[in-house]
Amino acid sequence: MDKRLLTIINTVLLNRGKKQVKKIKSKTNLRNDIGFDSLDLAELTVRIEAEFDIDIFEDGIVNTVGEIISKIDSKK
Amino acid sequence: MNVLVTGISKGLGLSITETLLEKGFNIYGISRTKSDKLYNLLKKYPENLKWLKYDLEDSDNIYKTIFKEWIGLKTPIHGFINNAALAYDDIITNLNINRLEKIYGINVFAPMVLTKYAIRHMLLHNTKGSIVHVSSISVHTGYKGLAMYASTKGALEAFSKNTAREWGEKGIRSNCLVAGFMETEMSSTLSEDQKNRIYQRTSLKHPVELNSVSETIAFLLSDNSKSITGQNIHVDSGTI
Repeated sequence: MDKRLLTIINTVLLNRGKKQVKKIKSKTNLRNDIGFDSLDLAELTVRIEAEFDIDIFEDGIVNTVGEIISKIDSKK
Repeated sequence: MNVLVTGISKGLGLSITETLLEKGFNIYGISRTKSDKLYNLLKKYPENLKWLKYDLEDSDNIYKTIFKEWIGLKTPIHGFINNAALAYDDIITNLNINRLEKIYGINVFAPMVLTKYAIRHMLLHNTKGSIVHVSSISVHTGYKGLAMYASTKGALEAFSKNTAREWGEKGIRSNCLVAGFMETEMSSTLSEDQKNRIYQRTSLKHPVELNSVSETIAFLLSDNSKSITGQNIHVDSGTI
């Protein structure tokens, strides 16, 4: 799943003309480490929803990669 | 280009749908009823016109029913025309909260939810989409009996301007088409005398032609208007 998530994150970065990342860890912060702003996070949400059928921001703010993964896992 | 249009069974919505179909747009149209005219249009454009019976009072199922199951996440949306609306013609001292909540549901809340998912759909496909809300001249010029209705359209104009600012960076545009009074069912409750007084307030002294509104909407959807966003475009026979 990390690989799918990494692909999605890099798609969003590419669409905004930002530098792509090579790897992500559970602690990786979406804003501070990856450099996402609110528009990027919106696109990330939409792409994750299309892939995993879950709206990660539906019930609050998500800050790290680990938080996304646990949301996706809780859906299973 | 795929365009989502609400309230397509009659009046302005039907006219918009017809104009856009003639110009080769693919229309995803929503309405509560299937009028005879809509039935004929569906027969004339079996490929390009898709119709869903949906009541916008049900704002909870907008994502699932309209975007996920009907349009589908794989189909890009290039435009959203928010046309469906309920009229409310009464003076403020007769304001009924249940009726007010109902028109806010249809005229304001449902379009806001539709915009949410239209933008999300555009983000998924990297589409520089165009959103057009049909507003009303009653927002800009007061009319006796239209305060409640006008307030719903005023809310949309504010929402549209902020949509434009928020999503402009992604190339997504949002404009309002401020329509003057037209000869549709929406204004059918007005008496001839009331209508004439309204038309006398316009420069052209005439009701607004549906076609003029539809053609302007087609323009706002097209690339020809790519530098226009956050605007209220008046098509109102010159109500100044």
